[in-house]
Amino acid sequence: MTRWGMVINLAKCMRCHACVAACRIEHFLPLRVTWPRLIAVETDEGYKVDVSTYPVRCNQCKEAPCVDVCPTEASYKREDGIVAIDSNKCFGCRYCVIACPYQNRTYVSRKRDPGYFPGFSKTGFEKKGEKLYPHQRGTTEKCNFCMERIDAGLAKGLKPGIDREATPACVNTCQARALTFGDLDDPNSNVSRLIREKSGFVLHPEYGTDPSVFYIDYKLGGNDNKAPIEAQTGSHIQHLSSVYEPVKEKLAKRYE
Amino acid sequence: MANREIVYSTCKSCHGGCGVKVTKEDGIVVHIEGNPNSLTRGTMCAKGLSSIQHIDNPYRLKYPMKQVGKKGQGNWKRISWDEALDTIADKMKAAIADPGPHAIAISQGTGRGYNRYTHRLARSIGTANVITPGYVCHSPRLGLYGLVTGYGRLYCDYHGWGGVFPKTQIMWAKQLEISSADSEMAYWFINSLDYCKNLIIIDPRASAYATRATLWIQPRPGTDCALALGMMNVIIEEELWDKEFVENWTYGFDELRERVKEWTPQKVADTCWIPKEQVIEAARMWAIDTPGCIQVGSSLERQANCGHTLRAITCLMGLVGNIERPGSMISWVLPDTGLIEDFFLEIPLTDEMRSKIIGADKFKMGAARTCNPDTMVKKILAGDAPIKVWFSVGGQQIVHMANTKEVVAAIEKVEFMAHCDQFMGPMAEAADIVLPAAHWLEIDDVYDMHPRFMIEAHNKVVDPPGEAKSDAWIFNEIGRRVAPQYWWDTLEECLDYQVRRGMGGTMKWKDFSERLVSGCWGPDQVYYKYKTDYWREGGGFPTPTGKFEFWSKHLESLGYDPLPAFREPGESPYSTPELFKEYPLVLTSGYRQPFYFLGQYRNIPWLRSFMEFPTAQIHPETAAQYGLEDGDIVWIESPRGRIRQKIRLFPGIKKGVVMATANCFYPEEPPQGYHGLFISNPNVLTNNNHLDPMYGSPDLTCLLCKVYKAKPEELTEHVFHTEDYGFVPQETSGMQDT
Repeated sequence: MTRWGMVINLAKCMRCHACVAACRIEHFLPLRVTWPRLIAVETDEGYKVDVSTYPVRCNQCKEAPCVDVCPTEASYKREDGIVAIDSNKCFGCRYCVIACPYQNRTYVSRKRDPGYFPGFSKTGFEKKGEKLYPHQRGTTEKCNFCMERIDAGLAKGLKPGIDREATPACVNTCQARALTFGDLDDPNSNVSRLIREKSGFVLHPEYGTDPSVFYIDYKLGGNDNKAPIEAQTGSHIQHLSSVYEPVKEKLAKRYE
Repeated sequence: MANREIVYSTCKSCHGGCGVKVTKEDGIVVHIEGNPNSLTRGTMCAKGLSSIQHIDNPYRLKYPMKQVGKKGQGNWKRISWDEALDTIADKMKAAIADPGPHAIAISQGTGRGYNRYTHRLARSIGTANVITPGYVCHSPRLGLYGLVTGYGRLYCDYHGWGGVFPKTQIMWAKQLEISSADSEMAYWFINSLDYCKNLIIIDPRASAYATRATLWIQPRPGTDCALALGMMNVIIEEELWDKEFVENWTYGFDELRERVKEWTPQKVADTCWIPKEQVIEAARMWAIDTPGCIQVGSSLERQANCGHTLRAITCLMGLVGNIERPGSMISWVLPDTGLIEDFFLEIPLTDEMRSKIIGADKFKMGAARTCNPDTMVKKILAGDAPIKVWFSVGGQQIVHMANTKEVVAAIEKVEFMAHCDQFMGPMAEAADIVLPAAHWLEIDDVYDMHPRFMIEAHNKVVDPPGEAKSDAWIFNEIGRRVAPQYWWDTLEECLDYQVRRGMGGTMKWKDFSERLVSGCWGPDQVYYKYKTDYWREGGGFPTPTGKFEFWSKHLESLGYDPLPAFREPGESPYSTPELFKEYPLVLTSGYRQPFYFLGQYRNIPWLRSFMEFPTAQIHPETAAQYGLEDGDIVWIESPRGRIRQKIRLFPGIKKGVVMATANCFYPEEPPQGYHGLFISNPNVLTNNNHLDPMYGSPDLTCLLCKVYKAKPEELTEHVFHTEDYGFVPQETSGMQDT
């Protein structure tokens, strides 16, 4: 079986909010509807200051309280572990919003959407979004691990978490590479390895929800500085240029 | 069937350089993501991604306009491009005739790829009175690296191309992880942390990685030079310096040794307000675990001792041989297109032009190619600066320069100003003519932020709104009218000229645009250039002595101290103890957020939603002393004036220090009052009298202040009375509505 999961690296997240922006683009999120969020945790224990950022999003829990309370079965669990919402069945009772112990669900108001620029007509992007990714007002929404990308990618034979086209948008855009996506049921997957090697943990395990989003945290530094061969060749990018000719000559002769 | 099209380009939402993949449907941008085949491997930050709301933004300037009535009142009337350009050209020609070309000032913002146009325009019309923010951002670094090593472009080698990554990394007053401001380096810096033994962060405030770093040092703002001198003291006392490099390739070691003798760890600890053990620990890591690199932040350049601070830091690099070895500081070999900067360097500054540079007599390093902006403000106010025409592109001098009150008064006094921008803002409101500029998704241009190892293409994705035009087009049109011999009939010819040397001289803009990038990386990069003929026949550095100069021959000849020396900030607990009694907190305006770029993006709803109101940080203990609670709107006051920001209690900031958000105005506030320029902008508080002797940089990140809660009746402006902060309208979803 497959169970999609995410590992979030707290040591690397730098609170840049790119994941939030990428999600707003990917899903054409209406004003104030935010699927992923960042929570600042700043503590001082007198001898040790800790400044952290916890990126949070739907945990896609195995024991999902939101699914249990849904009176219309609009919230349901897919076979791959993703908790999805059928907005045609949702009638906006918002039991799930209250039931989610992580507060990761958001209700899309029935009121008219003023758009991002009230007083102006909707932008081209907003209008396109209404067709490409319609949001049904008066229903509940949340992060769905970009399941549309996963499904379309799998249909093309791509691997979610490895192939970009089949991977959640937030994971792709993260400059810190703080987000890793993959199959939790595969012990050799990137996510399983990270959880094992870096002691992954989940938020509030005491709730008994069995989340699919894990966190890792560690001190930076302490590494060997030898570069792997791939890094030395620079072959990850298209190679279009050779050293400027006049310069080449000057670099040729060496003096010790 | 919808018509989909993909365009590859290069982001310029900060200094830029990240590869971008844009998807259009029926001509409308529906998706932006990173280009996976670029140097940044498909990653992108919130600023770049939010470009969608930038190009679609209804507040964009669409037509050239002229101000009718008094400046700063927002009375604008649409005019044609011809009228706008002809008016500007005529004003310039009149100034050239009398009193001379030096009466024209050309100013720019942080330099988003138009640096070379600004300078070419200035040089082609015969003035060197160019105003850039360079003197508080990047120029001192380049100049001082240049003095010591002979070559100004020293970068950290984060890529591993030479076989190793930096073993010890110092982030000095810098958040490279969020700023990427020297081009697309954030990705590579963060990646290199997986191969780093010691990460040292030097910052009074906890940046993202501070509490997980190997060592985090919180110096008192403005004392970084003392810390660098102290580290050198430890390295020399403990005999940890690189004997081979120092003996063969450096000049002035004995004098440096003598100079740093007094900077014992204890003296540094007392000056910087840090434990002395940290000085010793940092010095040992830096000297023993080589190679290493130091990423310098521009906060150090916003201090009136920046020249010596940067010299001290550069000497620290050379002392342990962290120059030109893999994993250290390196100057990159250029791609086959050569130096795009030649675009302006090929028009030399004449002695006549140099002699008319404002501030050149005083700030011999900073005002050698451009004028000193603070001196210019003073001179305009005193009535003895000859500036008659000011052509401004993109920058908000009115926001970022010290002592806002004086800056506004000076700008209002200039006879004629034209400003080119994407949105109406404080600088535009002070202009006579405003020109609408295009966004990077709307232009064809060469990307070359700093001459590093590559250039890239900005490929036009969509048309600009209304009649907006690319900066390059605007410069070329003005250039054609005033100095036609240096400019082109069409923009494409101008772009062809810039890439002309590529591929053995056959490259045209069109080829380059398709190729997207011309770079020189991996095995193409060569280390230890001082051991080849690269800089000098027989090896060596391109300095007067041919060596890495601890003792700077050039500074000596200009009459400056040839060795680095510490000087207290203009206002500090030690330099002005009386003032300290009344203003008992150290103020720094160095606080930057990852989703804003300097004065930009507060009118982009996606970005504004991340921090709606400018925020100042203070330690909970310090806040308790002054009766402040988290979320209070406070007055921050200095002898120049006072501003209001929201205070945040933050355990990651040094006690006794207030860190205010820089460069803030409110696009949604009315033009009267220059869009809320005086509400929260820390430069209302900063001082333009105490300047760096070499660069003329003012103390923007180290001064004194007091903080107290604002009374409700003092919060009269619109921004304090709205739930929605202008660009992020009120919450429409919530539990209460059905």
